[in-house]
Amino acid sequence: MTTRTQTLYRSYIIEEYHLADEPYYVPVGDEIELFEAAYRQRIPILFKGPTGCGKTRFVEYMSYRLGQPLTRVSQRSGEDADDSDVQNGHRNIPLVTIACHEDLTASDLVGRYLLQGDSTIWIDGPLTRAVKAGGICYLDEIVEARKDTTVLIHPLTDHRRILPVEKRGELLEAAEGFLLVMSYNPGYQSALKDLKHSTRQRFVAIEFHPPPPEIESQIVEHEAGVDRKTAEQLAKLGEKVRNLREHGLAEGASTRLLIYAGKLMAQGIQPRRACQVAVNWAVTDDSSIHSSIAEVISSIFE
Amino acid sequence: MKQKTLRELDLAEERLEAAHSGLAATFAPAAEIVASELRDDQVIEWAEKGLEMAEQSVRSWEAAARFFEVSPAVARMMPFNYFMKWADCGSELCMESPTLAVSYFAASPGAMSRLRSRHIETWANLGRGLYKGTWKSSALATRFFEASPKLLATLTVPEMERFAGLLGALSHRSYDMAAECLAISEDIFPMLGEDKRAFIRLGASLTETTWRQVKGLFESVARALPAIQPDQRARFLRLAQGLQDSGKANLPAAISSAGQAMSQLDGEHHEPILGMGETLMKKTPGAVPSFIESCPRALEKVSISQLSQWFEQGVGILDLNEDGGLAYFRIESAKSHEALEILSSSVELSRIKDVMEMYCLALAGADVKLAASNELADKNIGWVSDEAPTTEGSTVYLPAQEGRYPTKEENFALYKVVSTHQVAHLEFGSFRFRYDLPSTLFDDLRPQIAAVPKDRDAQAAEGGWATDMQRFFDLFEERRLALDVFTIVEDGRLDAIVVSDYPGIRTSYLAVQDGALKSRPDIRSLPAREALVELMVRLSLRQESGLAAPAKYRDEAGQVAALARKVATPTAVVEDAAEATLRIYAILSQVPNEETAPDDWEEVDVSDTEGAEAGLDDQQLLNQLTQQSEEGQADEQEYNPSQDVDYRGEFKPELGQMMTELRMQRQEQPGDQEGEQITQEMLEEMLKSSAEVDLESGEGGTEEATGAFADNMLKEAGLNMPQTPEMGQGPLVHLDEDGGPLNPDEPQTFVYDEWDFRADDYKPRWCIVRQKTMAEGDAGYFGSTLHSYGPLADQIRRQFEMLVPEMFRKVRKLEDGEEIDIDDVIEAIVDIRTGAGPSEKLYWKRNKVQRDVAVVFLLDTSASTAEAIEEAKKVTDDWDAPSDPVEYMVWLRTRRGEGMRRSYKRIIDLEKEAMVLLIHALEAIGDVYGIYSFSGYGRENVEFYTIKDIDENFSERVQRRIDRVAPLHATRMGPAIRHATSKLEAQDARTKLLFLISDGRPQDRGYSREGVEKEYAVHDTRMALDEALDKDINAFCLTVDKNGHDYLKTMCADMGYEVLDDIYTLPNRLLYLYRRLTI
Ligand SMILES: Nc1ncnc2c1ncn2[C@@H]1O[C@H](COP(=O)(O)OP(=O)(O)OP(=O)(O)O)[C@@H](O)[C@H]1O
Ligand SMILES: [Mg+2]
Repeated sequence: MTTRTQTLYRSYIIEEYHLADEPYYVPVGDEIELFEAAYRQRIPILFKGPTGCGKTRFVEYMSYRLGQPLTRVSQRSGEDADDSDVQNGHRNIPLVTIACHEDLTASDLVGRYLLQGDSTIWIDGPLTRAVKAGGICYLDEIVEARKDTTVLIHPLTDHRRILPVEKRGELLEAAEGFLLVMSYNPGYQSALKDLKHSTRQRFVAIEFHPPPPEIESQIVEHEAGVDRKTAEQLAKLGEKVRNLREHGLAEGASTRLLIYAGKLMAQGIQPRRACQVAVNWAVTDDSSIHSSIAEVISSIFE
Repeated sequence: MKQKTLRELDLAEERLEAAHSGLAATFAPAAEIVASELRDDQVIEWAEKGLEMAEQSVRSWEAAARFFEVSPAVARMMPFNYFMKWADCGSELCMESPTLAVSYFAASPGAMSRLRSRHIETWANLGRGLYKGTWKSSALATRFFEASPKLLATLTVPEMERFAGLLGALSHRSYDMAAECLAISEDIFPMLGEDKRAFIRLGASLTETTWRQVKGLFESVARALPAIQPDQRARFLRLAQGLQDSGKANLPAAISSAGQAMSQLDGEHHEPILGMGETLMKKTPGAVPSFIESCPRALEKVSISQLSQWFEQGVGILDLNEDGGLAYFRIESAKSHEALEILSSSVELSRIKDVMEMYCLALAGADVKLAASNELADKNIGWVSDEAPTTEGSTVYLPAQEGRYPTKEENFALYKVVSTHQVAHLEFGSFRFRYDLPSTLFDDLRPQIAAVPKDRDAQAAEGGWATDMQRFFDLFEERRLALDVFTIVEDGRLDAIVVSDYPGIRTSYLAVQDGALKSRPDIRSLPAREALVELMVRLSLRQESGLAAPAKYRDEAGQVAALARKVATPTAVVEDAAEATLRIYAILSQVPNEETAPDDWEEVDVSDTEGAEAGLDDQQLLNQLTQQSEEGQADEQEYNPSQDVDYRGEFKPELGQMMTELRMQRQEQPGDQEGEQITQEMLEEMLKSSAEVDLESGEGGTEEATGAFADNMLKEAGLNMPQTPEMGQGPLVHLDEDGGPLNPDEPQTFVYDEWDFRADDYKPRWCIVRQKTMAEGDAGYFGSTLHSYGPLADQIRRQFEMLVPEMFRKVRKLEDGEEIDIDDVIEAIVDIRTGAGPSEKLYWKRNKVQRDVAVVFLLDTSASTAEAIEEAKKVTDDWDAPSDPVEYMVWLRTRRGEGMRRSYKRIIDLEKEAMVLLIHALEAIGDVYGIYSFSGYGRENVEFYTIKDIDENFSERVQRRIDRVAPLHATRMGPAIRHATSKLEAQDARTKLLFLISDGRPQDRGYSREGVEKEYAVHDTRMALDEALDKDINAFCLTVDKNGHDYLKTMCADMGYEVLDDIYTLPNRLLYLYRRLTI
């Protein structure tokens, strides 16, 4: 009996994860110029905006784009770039994403000692790795992290650009390409979980809004693989549902939800039904608002 | 007892025994008891009365025996003189008939407990009057006495007299029937409320007419009443009386079946249905039973409000034809069935309003409201139809009900189409028309119109139009025609956009358009100009073939059609509609409104739009536009405005834009608008020239009507122009309400904005909150209240104590705990290996989270809280007295004081008691809390009393303050909530809660728009609560106002609220809610 094993997943070493193909991103405003300018000056960046409006996609896109020859960043002298990283004049900028949560500790970010046989070994945390590799470190939903953890990034985000690794008694100087980016959704944060001003004021803030219908329909068309007309209808639905914000809806329908609806339609689900499950139930549990959105859906879709 | 008396009694006993053996045995025990109640001489008088009776006749001993038997009980109920009166009455009865007397005496203990002593004789005579010496009459009279205790429980003496009169009259016909009715009546009277006469009168009148039915009446009433709401029973009987007076029906049968019908109805519906019955009774009494009997069947299909519509239609038919009407109410006529069908498939706006409002909001992307059309008509700002859908720029008005189609689904779809069309005016910018903005489809004529003809440039000379729409319509001499053309073109444009942008609604939209076509006038019946206008209407409703025009104006028809169709495209803007209007108007102005002979019509081919348009020359059109019209030809008719397309309703572009601009003006800060303010004069000028308002229709002259409209429009927009006092403002408007922002003038005063929902904006610095510390009263109040709740208070406190460890959270680095933390262990081992001192804190556990709650209780102490609530069921007895001597004295004093001042509890008392219990419980768990009360009069005087400041510790002073909480003035909730919010904001707790306890809707002098609109206060309160929510403060409203649901729904949209049905549950409920909200 022969067994064939097949690897069903791919795993990456954190700092080797970078984007080989250009992520699809449609700029909505001047965010690309802003990001590039800030990156050149190594100014940390804060993304503000509601869920599903392209923050994660944007940082992926930028990490790819900044690795392109045109925008290639000068390397710190003395550090020799690994040849494998540079292909066809393309220097990859690693993207390290960290989802923040309440129990995230400093060790989770910086690193810790582990036992191996008789000896101990030190394992770098993702932040340390990004610092060393000169990557973009993306802290998602930063407000979820505990305040003492947040303070850790302070020396990294001012002119010092250092990361103190207390347990080893060292100070790490960030590699040239390193930049800290964090995201933050002001919509549903409680005042208690707000960012400290000392943290906040270390970043420039780029605001994200749901894209206007012309752009959103373009995105939906591409991402969901639906035809132009359907994409436009979905974008219209998004716009109309967002009109209900502050009238009972906490958040409008995100681009992501519209894409989901589109994907279901691409699989042959009836448009009205697809919107019901992907958009309507996702945005509200209130039966009256739900019926109203159902009417909007049935006006837009046949 | 004296010897002498005893001897006399012994003597009497002997004589009694002589009269009838065994009588002494009845007498002796009675005498013993009576003797203990009466004086000696009285006892003897009593004994003699009995003896006298016993010796009256052969059988009179029976009466005497009964007399002795009941005497002890009766003697206790009345003074001696009445007691003797009672005996005399019995004795007299006994002379008539001993049997009668027996029943009289037997009934006496029961009857006397309900009868005043002075009525004894009346009562006895009533029974006696029924006795006519015959055996049957004796039986009736006896029954009467027997029934008396029960009857007297519900009947007053005068009623009793009437009833006996009825029995007497009936007994002339049949003693048996009278007796049977008497028996049934025992069950009937308790079911009647205050008004028993309706029933007695009914019986009496039936006795006069058809006495044989009276028993049937009693039986049917006894069966019907239980099914009818208690407060409606008298009304029901009065209706029966009406029926009886009309002499038409078999009354018992009618009552039976009506009662049967009523029993199938929802109790809530009894009142309105009997109301309709009363209306009908005035017209055609004979129809009433059929109507009531039909109600259950009708209500299976329609709602109660629809039933009244069905009823109205029936009344209409009845007016025309009585038989038809009767059949209608029996639901036997085709018309009746049809009416029910239509109603049952119709949709009422009230049921779909919430859903459709949100729908409109989503589509418009602006704050749109939805309301019934008659509400707009009531505002008297130019719209008159009670039914036509329309919009004035911020609200979509729809008919209150739609029943045009045979199914609910279709009628709902119609509503949706109508709403979508109206909201399209907002979504696609009908009112955003700008005179100077270019169109997208035309070479603009507007800039080329150099001068408008004389007498129409008056406005221009004065240097300004109030709105762009007004400027546009000023271009036309025949404004009404221009309005019609613009309406058709613009509506056509909107419909084209809707159908293309909302494919989902297309099918129903087209169906509604088809339907609308059916009710259009025949083109061939119209004079030429109107015919061309109608042609456009039909075209906009997608009629493509069979369109006719006078042969003479074939070309014009083609041109008009081409222009109108050009704008009916999804990309067109309102300025395109305006340009098309200019051209079409120019063409139509050359077409005289003359009759066309039947043979001179021709079918129009509307497909060749290009060819038709090619024939148009801008310069020529311009000339036609600016030309003065010539004298009309002799056969020319006056232009009759085009009939509105039903689903599009009324379109008033000038008024709509005016309202929109006025609202914007209201929101602008004075001084920062670029354009000129619209003044009342400009508004009146617009109204006078506009074709959209009918100034003649109102009362008074045109001048007055214009002024009134303008005034109302300004108010509607929230622009209450500053007026001088002598211009006479309503008595409800207070000067200070018109004033400007306020400044806090003393320490401890705070100023807050107030929300004006009409204007959709805050009135800046509008209210002053004056914070005061509550005066101190008696500290004993606190203790005695706690005490009066006895074990309950401690039970509540224990429940609260259990609250504390509700939430857990993982805590690391502990020396001991639930489990070892692997990370820490590794770290420790690493430390050991590297030679550093390892930490011993290797455990984690789930720990109680410190309860972290801050709460503010806000008590409404408005004057209405002084209202009494019916006496508490709970009677405190002396076991409740405190053991502490000092407290005891206070307790006693309060009790006595209360006994003297008032024996009832007020709403505020329960509020206070609830606070006492709450403090008792809260002190057990250590939540941070503040208690405040508020009241006030006017916006500059919102009183805010501190009972316990949120940072203050509980102390005897707090106890003393509670005692002094008392009803004060009005209820301006908004500022009080805002002030309480600011208190909570300063707290650093995880959970913050604002608890509002009130007894009614917010109300204060001037806390409304012009002092009359309750909504103003509700909306401001709601906004204040919203603001709290924005600051992460949870709000909860607890009210004891039974009518609270209606406004609380608005006020606390996103928050919790509760209406207490039974105010006595307030303390308990409050504590329960508090626990639930803070977990
Ligand atoms: N501007 C854009 N260009 C291309 N795709 C976009 C854009 N905006 C949103 N998307 C699409 O929307 C999806 C959701 O976006 P993304 O995951 O970046 O949201 P996010 O802002 O990170 O949300 P969250 O705050 O919930 O993490 C993406 O997968 C992408 O398909
Ligand atoms: Mg994301």
